[in-house]
Amino acid sequence: MLEGNIAGPLALIGYGLAAIGPGVGIGILAGNAVQAMARQPEAAGMVRTTMFLGIAFTEALALIGFVLFFIAGG
Amino acid sequence: MLSSQQLLAASEEASGTDLILPATSELIGGLIAFTIVGLIVWRFALPQIQKALDDRQAAIVGKMQDAEQTKQEAEKLRADYQAQIAGAKSEAAKIVEEARHQAETMKADIVARAQDEAAAIADKAKADIDAQRASVISGMRNEVAGLSVDMAQKVVAGTVDRSAQQALVEQYLNELGGVNN
Amino acid sequence: MNELFELPTLFTIGDVDITRQIAYFFLAVLVVWAILYFGLRKPKAVPGKFQLVIEELVGFVRDGIAKDIIGPEGSKYVPYLLSIFLFILVGNFFEITPFVNYPITSRMAIPALLAIMTYVIFVFMGFRKNGLSYLTGIVWPKSVPVAMRPLVGIIEFFSTFAIRPLTLAVRLFANLVAGHVMLSLLLVTGFTYLFVEPFEFTFNPLWGVLWFLLGIAIFIFEMVVAFLQAYIFTLLSAVYIESSLHPEH
Repeated sequence: MLEGNIAGPLALIGYGLAAIGPGVGIGILAGNAVQAMARQPEAAGMVRTTMFLGIAFTEALALIGFVLFFIAGG
Repeated sequence: MLSSQQLLAASEEASGTDLILPATSELIGGLIAFTIVGLIVWRFALPQIQKALDDRQAAIVGKMQDAEQTKQEAEKLRADYQAQIAGAKSEAAKIVEEARHQAETMKADIVARAQDEAAAIADKAKADIDAQRASVISGMRNEVAGLSVDMAQKVVAGTVDRSAQQALVEQYLNELGGVNN
Repeated sequence: MNELFELPTLFTIGDVDITRQIAYFFLAVLVVWAILYFGLRKPKAVPGKFQLVIEELVGFVRDGIAKDIIGPEGSKYVPYLLSIFLFILVGNFFEITPFVNYPITSRMAIPALLAIMTYVIFVFMGFRKNGLSYLTGIVWPKSVPVAMRPLVGIIEFFSTFAIRPLTLAVRLFANLVAGHVMLSLLLVTGFTYLFVEPFEFTFNPLWGVLWFLLGIAIFIFEMVVAFLQAYIFTLLSAVYIESSLHPEH
């Protein structure tokens, strides 16, 4: 069987899990934003701003995970 | 350089919370630093940029006005040239007209003079012819007189009727005298 | 890990330790000043290359962020937005500047400070512009069905007053910390493989070069991140200010 042990803070795994959701979310968001820009290039500026805003909200979860990693992992 | 032992030691002695909570000294330092940046931007950068933009606008407006002026001048110059050209054209037409007029009067003169001359020559010729005719007629009359005398002598010599002869000669002489007068 | 971020104390004034980070803060100020000063010392009607770049940056913040997001009132916020943009941009680029190699924005102090300033500005402007209806509009949103209002209100309240400044600061901080750690690890590992034999690793130039190349790739990637994070921070500041000026959308 596999010998050895896994070391390191559990918080790392927590952060990894926290990053999954936002990762998927940002992917979907950016993909749809690209589609929207391709369909209506004249609205690209508005779409881009809204995209960044959406990314900012989506990213919040990952960022909270990041902070918790520092607090719990220290 | 870092060794993994050092890393491990470091991560054990300082908690991660220290990383995420800012130190007071850094907050103060950052506040001062950012205030300076804000002042630079607010007091220096933006007015300078505004100035640059104003300058550029003024320059562009000035250039455009210059261009406008130049264009107007060129327009005026062109109008002048056109007026001059039109004047020159009409003058040329006038000159040509005058020349034609002059030529026509000259032609009329010449023709009249030629006609006069021709008339004079014809008159002279007629006078010459008349004079010649007169002299020819008188010459011929003398000759006819001589001839008729000769003829009369011959006729006289041929006939003997004296009285008839006499009357004939008388009549002839009379007639001759009438012609000679 | 903290070793990467704890720099030695240079000297102490009173109770305040002047560390290398704080020296870097002022180095950033100096750089911002130098860029602006030499770019705009003698503004010409026909700009030189450097002046053009500065004007492009300023125009980017003024037209692309302030006027685009906030609208005509945005010109009031241009000094603030431009300041944070330039400060963060220079601070971020310290990450990849040779001999500095330390993004000041990876200290929580700078992102936290700027985020708090944005927070103060947008909360203050929200109350000044809309009075108490700013708060009620967030807690009791009129645009959703009555049944949903308490829930949405709570979410909106926390999102506006707690999550916004927190994420604003942490986003910048996290990106720069991650970039700094990644770059340091890659370059240090490459260096170790190449030059430091008596270590836990064995001397291996191939691995060293590989790590170094990866480090350079990340280096270029970090350039993009540095600009993007400065842009996003400024953009979100503008968006937050706008949303408290016109809370109906």
